Amino acid sequence: MSTTPSAKRDRIELIGLYIVSILLAFVIAAILVNTSGGSWSKAVEAMINGSFKNPGRWGETLRRAAPLLIVAAGSAIAAKAGIINIGQEGQVLIGATGAAFIMTKIHPGSPLMLILGVVLGMLAGAAWAGISALLYYWRRVPVVLSTLLLVYLSSQITGYTMTRKFLLLEVVEGSPNRIQNSAKTAVNSRLGIMHIFGNNVPLTVPIAIIFAVGVAYILAHSVWGFRLKMLGFNPRTAQRAGVSHVRFGTMALLTSGAAAGLAGSLMLATGESNYRASSGFSASVGWDGLLVALVARNNPYASIPVALAFACLHTGSNFLAAAGVESVLVDVIRGLLVLALFIPPAVSELRKKRRVLALMTERA
Amino acid sequence: MADPISDHSIENHKGGGTSVPPPAVVVRRIVKRYGALAACDGVDLIMRAGEIHGVLGQNGAGKSTLMKILIGLVMPDEGSIAINGKDARIGSPQIASDLGIGMVHQHFSLVDGLSVWENVVLGEKAHLDRSAARSRVAEIGERYGLDVDPDARVSSLTAGQRQRVEIIKCLRRDPKILIFDEPTSVLTPEESSHLFGVLRNVVKTEGRTVALVSHKLEEVLRATDDITIMRDGKVVAFMRTNETDRHALAEAMVGRSVDLRGGKARHASENTIVASDVAAPVPVLEVIDASVHTKAAGVQLANLSLSVMAGEIVGIAGVEGNGQRVLADVLSSLTALNSGSIKVKGREIASGRPGAMSKSGIGVIPEDRHDSGCVLDMSVAENLVLADQVSVAQRGFLDRKKISAQAEELVQQFGINCSTVDAPMWTLSGGNQQRVVLARELSIGPSVLVAAQPTRGLDVGAIEYMGGRLKQAAAEGVGVLLISSEIEELIELSDRILVMYRGAVVGEMKAGEIDIHRLGMLMGGAE
Repeated sequence: MSTTPSAKRDRIELIGLYIVSILLAFVIAAILVNTSGGSWSKAVEAMINGSFKNPGRWGETLRRAAPLLIVAAGSAIAAKAGIINIGQEGQVLIGATGAAFIMTKIHPGSPLMLILGVVLGMLAGAAWAGISALLYYWRRVPVVLSTLLLVYLSSQITGYTMTRKFLLLEVVEGSPNRIQNSAKTAVNSRLGIMHIFGNNVPLTVPIAIIFAVGVAYILAHSVWGFRLKMLGFNPRTAQRAGVSHVRFGTMALLTSGAAAGLAGSLMLATGESNYRASSGFSASVGWDGLLVALVARNNPYASIPVALAFACLHTGSNFLAAAGVESVLVDVIRGLLVLALFIPPAVSELRKKRRVLALMTERA
Repeated sequence: MADPISDHSIENHKGGGTSVPPPAVVVRRIVKRYGALAACDGVDLIMRAGEIHGVLGQNGAGKSTLMKILIGLVMPDEGSIAINGKDARIGSPQIASDLGIGMVHQHFSLVDGLSVWENVVLGEKAHLDRSAARSRVAEIGERYGLDVDPDARVSSLTAGQRQRVEIIKCLRRDPKILIFDEPTSVLTPEESSHLFGVLRNVVKTEGRTVALVSHKLEEVLRATDDITIMRDGKVVAFMRTNETDRHALAEAMVGRSVDLRGGKARHASENTIVASDVAAPVPVLEVIDASVHTKAAGVQLANLSLSVMAGEIVGIAGVEGNGQRVLADVLSSLTALNSGSIKVKGREIASGRPGAMSKSGIGVIPEDRHDSGCVLDMSVAENLVLADQVSVAQRGFLDRKKISAQAEELVQQFGINCSTVDAPMWTLSGGNQQRVVLARELSIGPSVLVAAQPTRGLDVGAIEYMGGRLKQAAAEGVGVLLISSEIEELIELSDRILVMYRGAVVGEMKAGEIDIHRLGMLMGGAE
């Protein structure tokens, strides 16, 4: 399929565009760092040290990358059906909160409780996305809008569960309990951590990779994936062929919510914020995961390196402050990089369309 | 046929005394070509001030192009236009507006979420004066009998009320010449006769000029003073309304060029034999009292009933916009019926339920294949299995080998020209995309095949191929419902022709007894 000369030319052009735009992003970033009083060479060094060079750091990077990948693979499912879910941040948080009800409440815990917790987390994430499906198919509220706004609601609800002892607030004798978080998860309900060359690599890493590959396979080869694709590309043709927008659209949205919930509950099970859930628990995993999916253009395989790159940016940036770089600059640089990764495919697509159009008018 | 320029009309004005004003509009020898096709081919038109002028013709006769030229949306290649005796170059809608020409389009251009008065003043650059605008809307409404609440939301209005808003919008600019493009297509008969009353009023009491573009004989006869009839981009007749009748109009509109072909009788008898061999007396498709109506679009199907026997090709004739598209949508599970039922081989099918029609054995070649016939971003092979993925799957997973093999076979069988079966659908030419749709719909072994405008936009070879395939399908016992605006095509292929008008079947003719004259009358709603 990709052996035609024009497809080959398109690919080379795309790679060239990537190189140019990423270089440009780095140059702009370097200028920004230098003009704000830092040194770009020190900043680069700090990023490298923070993301994988220093002891134990690449384990940290992988720990961050795993939930990003799960969230991104889930987003790809909704996107395939033509539904834009941007509320993963909330779905991750609600998922972790749901899991916390089993993992922190039932002692001493057990592997079964771990599984139950994860399942509850997935159900909670799916239910949270389900609200958006309900609003859309019942009242035509745009999914983009409702998923986004539900993020803010999710942190309020989670925050509330952390203020009541009968919900998730940690019970500490004789303490006024100012810090609003849950108790630690039961030790037996935690997910294993592999120790490799002095790095702590949680089991979420292999789980995330299996999940992403599985999603890619199902989307490409199952009848279900085929139907989602039909719905995403041409809803009327899909309707004629028996693919109900309500049924398959809802399923796609629920599945992407469940993936986010899975990411949240696995984070809790592998010790994110010291095994405690709180209203800030999701730590932008949802937002970053969504960006990963966007940059990887909803391709779960491509999401693997992109998730890793975003995780590097995250863990590396923790070391930047020590290099004298303003911490807000990290967000700016991340934004630049995202733009740099977005622009090439968009430009390439436009050029391709223009060429096809030119060809068609020539024929006519 | 009569030539309006040399006819009595212009001589009256030219040679007459100074008291007679020049015609409001004189169009001379207008030509507009799109590629090889001449949409207007030397068109003349004279509209007298203070009269309603009907422009009659079928789809593609060139009426709309002519009106777009008058309103400045299209520039003619040749010819001249004079407005009130002065030569005019109408290069843009703004110039047309300055010349006092306004148009009420067939398709409404209203913003649903805004109120009536907001829609009326939309696009004005001057300072918005809410109360002045509202009272002006009310005043125009009262003066012309266009009753509509200025504060109502457009989304809450019926089709007839929406049209009133469009007319108020147009009248607000005080045009001397008003063009109405198929104004009654979404109106009820009562709303239509009310509209004609308004038009007569506008013309009589205020000396304005109205052009009424229509394909409906009855309303042209009822509402106009003069009639220009167009066919294939040319003016074929010009008549004073009180000197003509519906028969003359129908004949001029449809034309005599459509002749029964020699081979037709033989083909029909062949088919009848096949039908009696294959089919039991139960029709394969029955549409019973089907009605579809929405608030925005009005009545789209009005108690439509028809049936198709196995091995029979039933043609649906009619000017576009009389419900054919909705009928095809219903048979594609895209639109639900408000009342009535659809039966395939005697079994009732739930309308509007995704996939139900297709599963029951109704194959459809849609009018717009990009809309509901194929998925451009999927491969040819995938498009060939869209309707039935289950037969090429095992335990929920697609069998790619089987899909490819099946695709290769269909590509061979239907002569589809594509680089590989994995090529995306959009790389194919229109004719080949149409063959993919046809191949898929026939490959599921349908008992009914609905073909809506199946040859539109195809070249001669592809048209012949499509016709042959439809005949072959019928010969194999499929009931074919052929919806077309090409009368020649219908006559050549159909065993029976039904005529649709305003969402209902208004007449039926057998292959051997097709009367062009009557066909034209039925299509114009004159029976």
